[in-house]
Amino acid sequence: MKAKKGTKLVMMGNEAIARGALEAGVWVAVGYPGTPSSEVIMTLQEYKADMYAEWAINEKVALEIAFGASIGGARSLVTMKGPGLNIASDPLLSAAYSGVNGGMIILVADDPGPITTQTEQDSRWYGPLAKLPMISPSNPQEAKDFTIIGITMSEEFELPVILRTTTRVNHAVGDVIAGEIIEPKKFKSFSRDPERFVRAGMSWNLARHKWLNNRLRDLEKSTKYPLNSIEGEGKKCIVTEGVAYQYVKEALSSEKNAFKIIKLGLLYPFPIPFLSESLKGCEEIYVVEELDPFIETLLRANTDALNINAKIFGKLNGGLPLEGELSPEIIGSFLSIKRKDVVWRAEEIQVPQRPPPLCPGCPHRNSYLAILAGISKAGFNRKEVPIFGDIGCYALSVYPPLNAIWTEHSMGASISMAVGLKIAGFEKPVIATIGDSTFFHTGIPPLIEAVNKKVDMLIVILDNSVVAMTGHQATPAWIETETGRRTKEVKIEDVVRGIGADEVRIVDPYRIDEMTKTVAELLKKKGVNIIIARAPCAIYEMRKRGRPGYYIVLEDLCTGCLACIRATGCPALYTTEEGKVKIMEDDCYGCGLCAKYCPEEAIVSGEKVAKKD
Amino acid sequence: MQKKINILISSVGGQGGLSLSRMIAEASAIKGYRITTGEILGMAQRFGSVLSFVRIGINEEVYSPIFSKGEADYLLCLELFECVRSLSYLKFGGWVITSTEVKPPISASLEGKKQVEKVPSYLEAIRKHSEGNLISIEPKLVKEVVGTLRAINATVLGAFIMLSGVFDDDAALEGIRKVLKSERAIEISKKAYNLGKSIAEKAMPIHADNKS
Repeated sequence: MKAKKGTKLVMMGNEAIARGALEAGVWVAVGYPGTPSSEVIMTLQEYKADMYAEWAINEKVALEIAFGASIGGARSLVTMKGPGLNIASDPLLSAAYSGVNGGMIILVADDPGPITTQTEQDSRWYGPLAKLPMISPSNPQEAKDFTIIGITMSEEFELPVILRTTTRVNHAVGDVIAGEIIEPKKFKSFSRDPERFVRAGMSWNLARHKWLNNRLRDLEKSTKYPLNSIEGEGKKCIVTEGVAYQYVKEALSSEKNAFKIIKLGLLYPFPIPFLSESLKGCEEIYVVEELDPFIETLLRANTDALNINAKIFGKLNGGLPLEGELSPEIIGSFLSIKRKDVVWRAEEIQVPQRPPPLCPGCPHRNSYLAILAGISKAGFNRKEVPIFGDIGCYALSVYPPLNAIWTEHSMGASISMAVGLKIAGFEKPVIATIGDSTFFHTGIPPLIEAVNKKVDMLIVILDNSVVAMTGHQATPAWIETETGRRTKEVKIEDVVRGIGADEVRIVDPYRIDEMTKTVAELLKKKGVNIIIARAPCAIYEMRKRGRPGYYIVLEDLCTGCLACIRATGCPALYTTEEGKVKIMEDDCYGCGLCAKYCPEEAIVSGEKVAKKD
Repeated sequence: MQKKINILISSVGGQGGLSLSRMIAEASAIKGYRITTGEILGMAQRFGSVLSFVRIGINEEVYSPIFSKGEADYLLCLELFECVRSLSYLKFGGWVITSTEVKPPISASLEGKKQVEKVPSYLEAIRKHSEGNLISIEPKLVKEVVGTLRAINATVLGAFIMLSGVFDDDAALEGIRKVLKSERAIEISKKAYNLGKSIAEKAMPIHADNKS
C-alpha cells in the first residue's frame, strides 16, 4: 500500500479499490462488512492512512455518513454488498436529487453464483432506478483506476457515482500499477440551501429532478472519461462489461480478429452516443453480461436512438443463462468458437460435500444446543417451536447435525418474521435468534415493534462481540475501532432494557446446562424475553489469545457410538477407518463440548492427561 | 517461451490455500509474468471447501481469473477429500501435488466408517486419474522436519517449483516473504519449502516433461 508511483503491485480487486481511494484523495471511507466488499475498508484500516476509515452500524447509515461528508466538500467512499444497497436505497435515491460537492463513490459488490450471498441480485438496475452514474471495472487495475475516475466524475457532475463490481473483480488478484497517493480532500464548506438539501415533498423536487436528468444527459455525451473502449473490427460485435469482458477475451484468445469487442465501463447513463458510433456496421450483436440482461434490455429499448438494425443475441433469446456465473467456456459456446481440445474425465470417486460448518469451539453451537434442549425441557416438541434465524455464521446451524434454524431471510428479519407468525395466529412459542452485529444493524426496530405490540417471543442474541462471518470487524460494543479510534461502547443489555424487553438474561453459552434451563424457563413466560448468550468468537479469540486447551479421545474407551459427532458436528472430530472417533488436535479449541456427550467418558482434556503422564 | 499455466489450489478453509495462491501470484509478478487469480473468500474460509484459481502468463496475457474443468496444468491439494473432489479440473497430462492429510468432512463422519473406509483408496484414485503424474507429501514427515503443519502450503510450493521450474527459489521465497508477516513464520516456511523441493526431487521421473 505504501508503494511509490509506477510500482507494479499484486493486488486483490478490493485492495486496488482501497489504493484508488488513497490516490483519489478520499477522506471519509465507511461501510458495512459484506462479502465480497469487506476488504476495501479493511485494507484502508490496516494501512492506517490519515483518513476516516471505519465501519458504520449499517449500510444506510454508512451511505448517509459518506453523503454528509461529500455535501461538505470532502471526498468519500462507501462500501457494501448488493443486499446492503437495498438497505441504503432510501438515501441513495434522495442523494441523486441533492447531489454532492466532494466526490463520492458508492461501491456495491454483487455476487453471481451466488457464492456467499442470499440472492443473485443484479445491482446494475440501481443505476436507472436511482438515476445515478454507474461504472463497472473488469479487473483489479481498472478497479483502482475507475475509483479515481469515479471521484473526478462525481465532482464534475455533482452526483454520487456507483462503482459496481462482482466477486470475480473484488476477489481477483492481478497486477496493478500504482499511482500517486494525494492529500485527502477534507471539509470545504457547507451553507444552507433548502432547495438542494430539503427533500420531503417540496415543490422544488420537480426542478431537482430536471436538474438531475440534465446532468445525466451531459454525462452521457461526455467523452472525457476513458471508461468505454473498442477492440478489433468486424460485422460480428460483442457488447460486454465487467469480468465478462475478461472471459470474452479469454474465449477469443485463439481467434483474435473474429469479433469487434465493445466494452462498457460506463453502464449508466447508457452511453448512447458511444454505442451508436461503435455499433455502426455491426450485423450481429452479442451481449455478454452476468446476471440479468441489463445491457441487452437497454440496447433493445434504444435501437432507434442507436440507429441499429442488427440481430441481437443475449439472454432474452436464450443464448446465455439467466442464472449463475459465466465462464470463458460458456461464452465460447455462445459465440460458437471452437474450443481448444480439452480432455478431462469426471472423478471416479464421489466424495461427501463439505459445506462450511460452525468452527470448533464456536459458542453459537452451544447456544443452539441449549435452545434445542430448552425447547424439550419446556415440554415442547422441537418440530412445533420455530427458530427464526438471521444473517451471520450462526445460519450454519441449519446443517446437520444441529438442523436448528427454520428461516434465514434478510438482516434483522428473525424478530420481525417471528412477530408476523404470532400475529397470524400461531399459538406455540417462537424463538428468534440474531447475532450481535445483526441486532445492531437492523434488529433494533423489530425489537421495538415486538415490545410495543406485546408479541410473546423469546429472542436469543448470540453475542460474540464481533462481526465474525465477514472477517472479524468491529461492532458498536467495542471501546476502540480497528484504527485505534476510541469509542463509547454501546451495550446490548442497555439497548434492550431501554426498549422495554420484559426479561433480560445474560448467559454464558459454554455453561450449556444453565442456558438450557434459562431457555426452558423463558420459553414458557409471556412477554418479549431476551437471552444474551455472550462468549467471544472462538477463532477470533484463538488468534488473539490462543486456545484455552485441547481434548483427546482415549482410544480404548471409545466405542464408536458417534454420540459426540452426532450431537455437535464439530469439524475437529472425525471418524476413523476403525469406526472410532478422533480429534484433530491442531483444530481443537478445547471447549470440551464433545466430552459432555460421550457416554463412556472417553474424551478428556489433553493437558490433564499429559500432566498425569 | 510463451505459455499460460493454470493452477488449481484445493484445500479446506484455514489450511493456507489462499496464502499459497497469493505466494505464487507475488512470485510470478516478480518474474514479470502476467498473473490473475480467482478465489472465494468469506464464509467458505472456515473448514469448508476452498478453491483458488491461479493463472500465469509467460510472455502472454491471461484474462479470465477462473478456468474450467480439464484446464488445470497443476492441481495443488492440501487435503485428500478436496483433492479427489477437484480431480475433474486436471488437464489430461497435468500433474497433482497433494498433501496426504485427511480431514473428513462432518457429513462423512456422521456416516460412521462407511465413508472414511474409502480414504486409503483416494491416493490410488488420484494416481490413476493423473496417470502417475503425482507427488504426494506426507504430513507426518512435514511435522517431523518442520515442526508444524501450518506451513505445509510452502512445502507444496517447493514441490511445485521443483517440478515446474516456473520460477526460481529467490522469487518463491520473496513471494513467501510478501505474504507472511512475521520473521518466524517466514523461517518456518523456508524450511517447509526446501522440504517440498527435496520430496519432489525424489518423486520426479528423471525426464519430467515440464522441467525444461
